Amino acid sequence: MTSRRVECRGVGKVLPSGGEQLTILRDIDLAIDAGESVAILGPSGSGKSTLLGLLAGLDRPTTGSVLLDGEALEDKDEDELALLRRGKVGFVFQAFHLFANLTAHENIRVPLDLTGVDGSAERATELLERVGLAARAHHYPSQLSGGEMQRVALARAFGPNPSLLLADEPTGNLDSKTGERVLELLVEMRERENTTLVLVTHDPAVAARAERRIVLEAGAIVSES
Amino acid sequence: MKLGGILRFVRRDSRGSRGSLVFFVACVAIGVAAVVAVDGVARAIDAGLRSRSRELLAADIAVQGRQPLPAELDAAIARVAPDAERIDVRELATMAGALSAAGDVERSRLCELKVVDAAYPFYGELTLEPAGRLADLLDASTAVVAPELMSGLGLAVGDTVRVGGADFRVAAVVLDEPDRLDFALVLGPRVFLSSAGFDRTSLLGVGNRVKYRALLRLPGNPVEDELDRVKDELDDSIPATVRLRFETHFEAQPGVRRGLERFASFLGLVALLSLVLGGIGVAEVVRSWLRSRTIGIAVWRVMGLRPREILVLHVAHIVVFALIGSVLGAVLGGAVPFALPALMPDLLSADLVESWQPLALLRGIGLGVGVALLFALSALTAVWRVSPALVLRSDAEPLPAPRLVRIGALLLLGGGLFASAWIQGGRADYAGWFTGGLAVLALLLFLGARALVWCAGVLPRGRFGPTVAHGIAALARPGVGTVGAIVSLGLGTLVVTGMALIERRLQSELRGALPENAPSVFLVDVQPDQWEAVERVLADGGADRIDMVPVIMARLAAIRGDTVASLVEDRGDDDERERGERDEGDRRPRRWALTREQRLTWLDELPDSNRVTARLAANAADDVLWRDPERDEISLEEDYAENLGVGVGDSIAFDVQGLEFEFLVSSLRQIEWESFDINFFVVVEPGALDDAPQMLLAAARVASSAEDAIQDQLVQSFPNVTMLRIRPILEKVADLLGRIALGIRVLGAFTILAGVAILAGSVGASRLRRGNEVALLKTLGVTRRGVLQLFAMEFALSGLVAGALGAAGAYALAWGFLEHVVELEADLPPLGFVLAMGLTATLAVTAGIAASLRALRARPIESLR
Repeated sequence: MTSRRVECRGVGKVLPSGGEQLTILRDIDLAIDAGESVAILGPSGSGKSTLLGLLAGLDRPTTGSVLLDGEALEDKDEDELALLRRGKVGFVFQAFHLFANLTAHENIRVPLDLTGVDGSAERATELLERVGLAARAHHYPSQLSGGEMQRVALARAFGPNPSLLLADEPTGNLDSKTGERVLELLVEMRERENTTLVLVTHDPAVAARAERRIVLEAGAIVSES
Repeated sequence: MKLGGILRFVRRDSRGSRGSLVFFVACVAIGVAAVVAVDGVARAIDAGLRSRSRELLAADIAVQGRQPLPAELDAAIARVAPDAERIDVRELATMAGALSAAGDVERSRLCELKVVDAAYPFYGELTLEPAGRLADLLDASTAVVAPELMSGLGLAVGDTVRVGGADFRVAAVVLDEPDRLDFALVLGPRVFLSSAGFDRTSLLGVGNRVKYRALLRLPGNPVEDELDRVKDELDDSIPATVRLRFETHFEAQPGVRRGLERFASFLGLVALLSLVLGGIGVAEVVRSWLRSRTIGIAVWRVMGLRPREILVLHVAHIVVFALIGSVLGAVLGGAVPFALPALMPDLLSADLVESWQPLALLRGIGLGVGVALLFALSALTAVWRVSPALVLRSDAEPLPAPRLVRIGALLLLGGGLFASAWIQGGRADYAGWFTGGLAVLALLLFLGARALVWCAGVLPRGRFGPTVAHGIAALARPGVGTVGAIVSLGLGTLVVTGMALIERRLQSELRGALPENAPSVFLVDVQPDQWEAVERVLADGGADRIDMVPVIMARLAAIRGDTVASLVEDRGDDDERERGERDEGDRRPRRWALTREQRLTWLDELPDSNRVTARLAANAADDVLWRDPERDEISLEEDYAENLGVGVGDSIAFDVQGLEFEFLVSSLRQIEWESFDINFFVVVEPGALDDAPQMLLAAARVASSAEDAIQDQLVQSFPNVTMLRIRPILEKVADLLGRIALGIRVLGAFTILAGVAILAGSVGASRLRRGNEVALLKTLGVTRRGVLQLFAMEFALSGLVAGALGAAGAYALAWGFLEHVVELEADLPPLGFVLAMGLTATLAVTAGIAASLRALRARPIESLR
C-alpha cells in the first residue's frame, strides 16, 4: 500500500521585492507518494527552489497548505518544524554546503548525532565506503573535489535514512561526467532505501532519471508527465 | 542536547574560526589582565597589611592623641589591662642640623623625630647599622637616624647632629622601622631620640604639633575579641571630650587600607573600561563571525536544529573562548603583584605584599566571561534571524528574534555593565556615573564615527588618487565593523590622551614656579619674643612678603550655652568620620569637630583668599569684619560651621588653657586654600585673646637658593622653630601624583590595546572577503606593494578618524576638568592633538596590516574560484 508523503494544496508564495509584491508560486496542487521520485523542471526563476523549500518547511507558503506525512506544516512553529525535519528529511544542495571546518567523516556524522543514532561513527564510515570515499574520511571539504564533496553530501543526506530526500540542482555545480556519476549514485541509493525523492533541475537529462516530472513556469505547474 | 555533545560541537566547530576567535580571546584577555592586576595588587597589599598588622602597629593596642595622654588613661590601663606593658612614643616634625668645626649649624634638614622608650618596638624588627638593640644604643646623648639624613647632612656614625638646640652623637643608622609604611607621604627622614635625650632639647614647650602614642602589649597573645573588649573599655574610661584614637592591630592600619580601597576602586573602574572596550571588540568579532557562518547555520537549521539549540551551541562557543581569554588574562594580571615589589622597591617592600591572590583571579575570570557574554548576547540574537530557506535563496526572509529577546539583551547589557562597575568601584553611584558616562561617550563617538563614515560615502572620490580613493571607499563600505573599531580605538585614545593632558598640566603646575604671591616657606612654632630676630634673619636672607599671625591652641567648650560634654553625650558613640557621610537631616554637631584641638588666630582684616558668605545683619552693609562693640566676635569657615551645626548669630565658646572665652558668630567664610595664604577655620576679633599663650606662624617668599642659608641660621639660633619649605612638599605631591598617573596611564594603554585588538579582529574576521579582494586586485594587475598601500590607507583613515574623535573628547574632558574642577587655566598643547591622531593611525595601520597578512598572500588564481 502506498501512502501520501508530501502534498501541496493551493500553495502560493508572494515575496516583497523593492516595494512591490512578487508572486513566486501560485496555486500549486501537488501530491507525492512514498517511494516516488519526482523531478521539478523549469527555467531559472520559475519558483522550483522555493517550492522545494516549502516542502521541507524551510519557508512558509503565503497561501495554501503543505502536508508532510499528513501533518500540515503551517500549524507548526519553528521548533516543531526543526524536529520534524530532523532525521526525516534529507537535503542535497547545488553548492554542497558541507561544513568547512569538519572532515568528511564528521560532516556525515552531524545528522546522525542529531537524531541520536547509536554507533554514528561506524555508520558514517559505512556511508563513506558506499560513496567510494573511505580513503578521504579525514579530509576537509577544501581538500575534496566538487564531485567528492557532493558524494559526501549524499552520504550525509542519506545517513539517518530519511523518508524524504530533497535535492536542489545536485549536479548544477559539477561537470557533466562527474554530475552523471553523482546522479547515478543518488538514484542507486534512493532505490536501495526506497526514499521518496524530489529533485529540482533545469536539465531535462537529469529530470529523465525520475519517475515523474513536473514542469514549472512563472510559478505555476504547466505540465506533468 | 547534552553537555558532551555541546562541547564536542564547540571543539570541532571552532576549527575554522580559531583565527578570528584569537582576537576575541585577546580582547577579553587584555581587559581581564587589567582588572586582575588592579584587584590583585590591592588585595596583595591589603593582605600584606593584615598579615603584618602587629609589626605595623608595633603593639597589640595603640592609643594616640594630640595632647599629652591624660592621667585617666593610666588609671584605665591599670584597671582594664593591669598586666599590659607600655611604651610611650612621641612624634613631631622638627629640624636637624650638622655642625661645622666651629660648632655652628652648617647644613640642616626637616626631619621626623620619634622619641621612644627602650623597649620599643614590641613587635617587628628595628634594623640598625651597626647592628644592635635600640635600648643599648640610645641614651640621653645619642641619636639614631635614617640614612637619608646621614647623606643629606653629610654625617657619619659617631658625628654630631643638633636637634632642638641639643647635640647628639649618631650611634647608628636605622635601615628599617616596623611601623613605618614605605608609601606614606613623609615630611623628612627619621631621627630617634630617647626620652632623656628629648628632655635636653628646647622642643618640650612646642607641644602643639606632637603626636602622643602609647603602645600596649598584652600578655598571652590575646585574640581579636579580647583586644576589642580591652580597647572599648579603655575608650569608655576616657572622658568623651578628650579626643583619643584607639586601634588594635587586628584593624590593620584602617586609614591606609581605606585610602587603598578608594584608590583601588578608582583604578578598578579604569581597568573595567578596557574590559568593556574588549567587550565591544567581542561584539564585533562575534557579529562578523556569525556573518561568516550564516549559511552554515542555515544548513544546521535544515538538518533540524532548533533556533534555541543553535543559540545554546553558540553561547557555549562564546563561553569556552571567553574562559580561555579570561584565564589567559588572569594569569597575566595575576603576575603583576609578584612583579610589582621588584619594579617599585622604594614604594613597596616585598614582605608587605602577599602576591598570591586567587580571589582576584577568580573575580577577573568571572567578570571577563560575564562581560564577554553580555556583549556577545546582543550579537547572538542575530542567530534567530537565520532562515533555513537561506540555503536555497540568498534573499530569504530573515526571522527576527522575538522583540523581547532583543530588548532583553540590551537591558541585560546595561544592567550587567552597571553590576560590573558596582563590583569594581564598590559603590552604586560610581557605577551609575561609570555606566552613564560610558554610554554617553560611546554614543557620541558612535555618532561621530557614523557621520564620518557617511561623509566618506558621499565624498566625490574621483578627486583623489586611487590609493586614497580606495581607502575612503573602504571606510564607507557597509558592514565591515569599521564603526565599532573606531569607537573603541577612539575611547582608548580618549582615556590615554585625556589622562596625559591632565597629568601634564597638574605636574607643570606643581613643579613649576610657585604662584606669584604665594609664600615659599612657613615657620612654625616661633615664640613671640623670638619674632623680631627671626624676622631679621628672613629679611637678611632676602625674603619678601613676610607675614606673621599668632596661633592659639584651643578646644571648643560650648555651643549656644550647651557644653561640649553634653553635646558629645548626645552624639553617642557613632563617629561619622568612620562612616563617611552623615545621615541626611542630621544637624547635630559632629563628634570630631567638637573634640578636636583647634588653632585660632585674630585678624583685623581677612586675606584676599577669603570670601565672606554670610554675615550678621548688623554689619551686612559694608566690608568691615568686626562690628559689634559689645561682644567678642568670631568668624568661621563655612564647612567647619556646618559640621558644628552653628550659624551666624549663634554663640560659641572656646577653652584656652583652662580659661573659657565666649564669642558671637558674626560671619561665615569660604577659603581658597590653594592660594597658600595662611588661613584658619576660626578667626577671632583682635583684643579678645591677645594675652593668651601663643605661638607665631610666619610665612615668607624666599628665593630657593636662599632657603638653605636661612634654614641653617634658624636651626642655629632658634632650635624650636620648624621651617616647612613648600617646594619640596609640592615635589613630593607631584611625585605621588606621577605614580598615580602612571597607574592610570598603564591601564589606559590597555584600553588602547583593546582598541587595537578590536581593529585587528574586525580585519581578521573579514579575511575571506579581503582575500577575494586581494586576488581580484592582483588579477587586475595591482602589485603586492600596491595592495599593501591600499590597505594601509584604509587603516590609516580609520585610525585618523578614531584618533581625531578620541583626541577631541580628551581635549574637551581635560579642559572641563582643569578649568572647572581644579580651576586652573587649561592651557592644552595643540600639538598633542596631532600626536594623538598620528599615533592612533600608526597603531591602526600596524594592527590592520598584521591582521591581513594572510589575506595579502592570496593568489590571483583564487579570484577565479
